[in-house]
Amino acid sequence: MNFSQLDHLQQDTLCELSNIGMGQAATALSQMVGRTIMVHVPSVTTADIAEVPDLLGGPERLVAGVILRLEGTACGNMLLVLPEASAEQLLQVLLGPDGSLESELGVSTLQEIGNILASSYLNALGNMLGMPLYPSIPQLAYDMAGAVVDQVLGEIGASSDLALVLETEFAGNDGPGEPIRGHFFLLPDAETLEIILAAAGGAA
Amino acid sequence: MNPKLRVGIAEIRIAGAPERLVSYGLGSCLGVMLYAPELCCGGLAHTLLPEPGQKGAGNRPGKFVRTAIPALIAGLEQFGAERRQLVAKLCGGAHMFQNLNGRMTIGERNIRVARMLLEELRIPLLAEDVGGCQGRTCEFRLEDGKVLVRLARGRDKLREL
Repeated sequence: MNFSQLDHLQQDTLCELSNIGMGQAATALSQMVGRTIMVHVPSVTTADIAEVPDLLGGPERLVAGVILRLEGTACGNMLLVLPEASAEQLLQVLLGPDGSLESELGVSTLQEIGNILASSYLNALGNMLGMPLYPSIPQLAYDMAGAVVDQVLGEIGASSDLALVLETEFAGNDGPGEPIRGHFFLLPDAETLEIILAAAGGAA
Repeated sequence: MNPKLRVGIAEIRIAGAPERLVSYGLGSCLGVMLYAPELCCGGLAHTLLPEPGQKGAGNRPGKFVRTAIPALIAGLEQFGAERRQLVAKLCGGAHMFQNLNGRMTIGERNIRVARMLLEELRIPLLAEDVGGCQGRTCEFRLEDGKVLVRLARGRDKLREL
């Protein structure tokens, strides 16, 4: 199946699935940081692989990126992208003034946040679709957005020039200090998209 | 300011002085640069993968190291360069995440194929800033063939090849 052939109904289905999954994930994050986390309306974009770094805010933007491989019946990659300031803020909320992206504790804390977000997202998605979905071990890179996403694009690029990107933006503004913002991306493998759409009843 | 031309993933660009060719945020991607010193022109390919394997991989020569290097040579020959004048530089090919499965990373494979192919084609590899676990931006200065490498963080954030 080619990503560019998705019709409106299929796009809506994916949007709705993503919305429910991210709703669950945001609840988990709110509980952890003690702030209300708002989820924006998700978007489903079919983008050329060369355009994906721009979706992350530009290839040179410094971000903390947690990457998880989606495993189970469906395969793909998930990516949590936090701008530098938000990642630092999140760590200070959770770890106190010593929280830093440069420390080992900071790194494993962000990986765990990625893990919790991805697990709750996939849990909601899997329940709805009636298939087990689970994330792999999370890995973190703190670097340029383009560099962080290269590996995912390499996997997609081996069999396609297009990437399907399910994107959700979230933000928590009600605490002290900087608002916490982030993007959560799901990039399913090409065969996985068919599986997801078939299970959702919007088969191709 | 010299004009900068952006070379995105899977793209190839050929240009001459005073222009500069730039690839932003290279991770495992490899920037392959060929330069013709006498003409002050060069080409940059922002390659994603070592070689085409599966079907559906598309037909952009710039996407794969294996196809990008011949395409760069052909492009520079159209500019009037001769193959035996050409020199090469490489930038990128990092592994951004810990390598868990022990196999060669995409970045390492990109570097390996590039070095092998350049040697086969007898194009001297003058300099490289490759591997490691850091993202890089490379700016290819066509007036003298120098490459400026920028890192997002760390002590040694600016390098020149």
